[in-house]
Amino acid sequence: MIVKFIARRLLASVIVVLGVTAVTLTLMDRTRGAYVPGIDLNPALRPEDIARLRADLGLDQPFYQWYVTWLWNVLHGDFGRSMIDGSPVLTHILERLPNTLELTLTAVVLGILISIPLGVIGALRRGSKTDHALTVFSVAGFAVPQFWLGLMLILVFSVTFEHYGWPWLPSGGVTSPFGGGDIGDRLLHLIMPATVLSFFYLSLWSRFTRSSMLEVLSQDYIRTARAKGMSERRVVYLHGLRNALIPLVTLIGLELPGLVSGGLIVEVVFSWPGLGRLAFERALQYDYTTVMGVVFFVTLLVVAGNLLADVLYAVLDPRIRYS
Amino acid sequence: MIDPGGITQLDLPGAAIEGEARRPAQSYWNESWERLRANRIGVFCGALILILALIAIAAPVFSQFVTHFDPARQHLSDNFRSPGHPYLLGTDELGRDTLTRLIYGGRVTLGVAFLTVALSLTLGTTVGLVAGYYGGWPDDILMRVVDVFLAIPAIFLFILMSILFRPNAITLAAIIASVGWGGVARLVRGEVLSVKQRDFILATRSIGARDLRLIFRHLLPNVLPVLIVAASLGVGQIILIEAALDFLGLGIQPPTASWGNMLTNAESYFFHSGWLVVFPGVTIFVTVLASNLFGNAVRDAFDPRLKAH
Repeated sequence: MIVKFIARRLLASVIVVLGVTAVTLTLMDRTRGAYVPGIDLNPALRPEDIARLRADLGLDQPFYQWYVTWLWNVLHGDFGRSMIDGSPVLTHILERLPNTLELTLTAVVLGILISIPLGVIGALRRGSKTDHALTVFSVAGFAVPQFWLGLMLILVFSVTFEHYGWPWLPSGGVTSPFGGGDIGDRLLHLIMPATVLSFFYLSLWSRFTRSSMLEVLSQDYIRTARAKGMSERRVVYLHGLRNALIPLVTLIGLELPGLVSGGLIVEVVFSWPGLGRLAFERALQYDYTTVMGVVFFVTLLVVAGNLLADVLYAVLDPRIRYS
Repeated sequence: MIDPGGITQLDLPGAAIEGEARRPAQSYWNESWERLRANRIGVFCGALILILALIAIAAPVFSQFVTHFDPARQHLSDNFRSPGHPYLLGTDELGRDTLTRLIYGGRVTLGVAFLTVALSLTLGTTVGLVAGYYGGWPDDILMRVVDVFLAIPAIFLFILMSILFRPNAITLAAIIASVGWGGVARLVRGEVLSVKQRDFILATRSIGARDLRLIFRHLLPNVLPVLIVAASLGVGQIILIEAALDFLGLGIQPPTASWGNMLTNAESYFFHSGWLVVFPGVTIFVTVLASNLFGNAVRDAFDPRLKAH
């Protein structure tokens, strides 16, 4: 049964991936004429040179043909070459991926480690001052623009601290330009972007843990566990938390694509050389092989994340049936 | 009362519930309205949004009589002023008055937000009604399309479309709505699927009502509560998205002020004036906060399922 369920979801996923790449390319195709800005104005190039350059990039074909060729190559592991610098797109992706993962995984791990205890405390002390404070914090977390939070942190911890001669945090990049690169240096650079990124996860997941926990604690089996004299600790953690975390797994699975794209704005604010910023910068330069490559890659992650969340959910919770 | 996935938990005052028992039966709308009015945080936040919207609409009046500055007028000798007199919230790198620009920016930002909500609700509701009511292959096709739009990492879609269309306020709203409608469509379809099963639909059909009449006179009013809730919860998120796009240089283009693009160059001017970073951000934060809290209040008041708890 589970095989059939997964097979059906896989089929749906293939359709989604095809759809996403087709939509992306259609959009990019509309900008095609503008590719290689100013190429038509360059007096050193004869019209036939321009035509040859365009043909080299496959830009003389109608876009559906380009799409089919591109798709065929991607299925064979060839993402093509960047239209800007001519180096393989896959190299670009693999070069940027570790930076993005470093940032987003830190943020997600921080988010999980902090949000679950906060959510549990909120649920256990429902209505208390602590609970209200956590609620306010979470509501604020939803409303604060990520890029602005980043700018404010830079303003305070980099600009102002440096101004007063206090130890300050680097405002951008993965490592210091000169003589940096050891673990301590990397961590210093990681602090602010990871904080900003995890802030949103924190508000979302702590809120979610809290309501999920409240719901579980009102179940009959919790009353039964208490009635048979189980210690409150065991009730809360063994029966309560374990069941309350099941829906959270789905939520975190759905964040998997956010691991790459969600960090885009934070990457831009902190000049973090990650995948999101790569796609953003290259899109501005009409480098569509690179953009298509990143979008395809990220969409695969989206689909894999959804699938993983569904399967995990079904495995963790026997009440779910595959249908 | 538990609100899974919700942002806040706002308990209804006991008085409203007590009163309900004594009053004669009320319509759903009256009851919901009473509940909303009883929620003090909700009313306050709703009023705040209304005031901000009114200030934005009356921007020229404020610029003439309150701030005495034009949003685009440069005072190069007065650039990077700190808050004070006569520039209440200071000036930017070109000596433009920050407060006046914030007021004018509110026009753009709030206008785009409301337009986006309207567009995505219209498209999403139509698709959801059709898919849910007819079922079968229209449902399959429409829902696969929704899947695709929800699976594209939204930020990439925004970036590509913004590059393509070089947006003004209206196209920007269309761009953001082109992603937002998918969620609404799913929501409406789900509601329709459950409402469709009820007896009154069968009864209406049995006396010869046509499809269109069924959809617009009977299904639509029943999904309206869900739509109201989705709309009021959506505004805050849309303001955040819009601000982020403006910040990235993909939304409203300077010299038109918007809360997001006022922050675009902020990083370059950190050393000249930190205030430039503070005010637009605080404005966005307060507006989104108020929208979210108002949205929560509306959900608590209008979502009939919460009454069960």
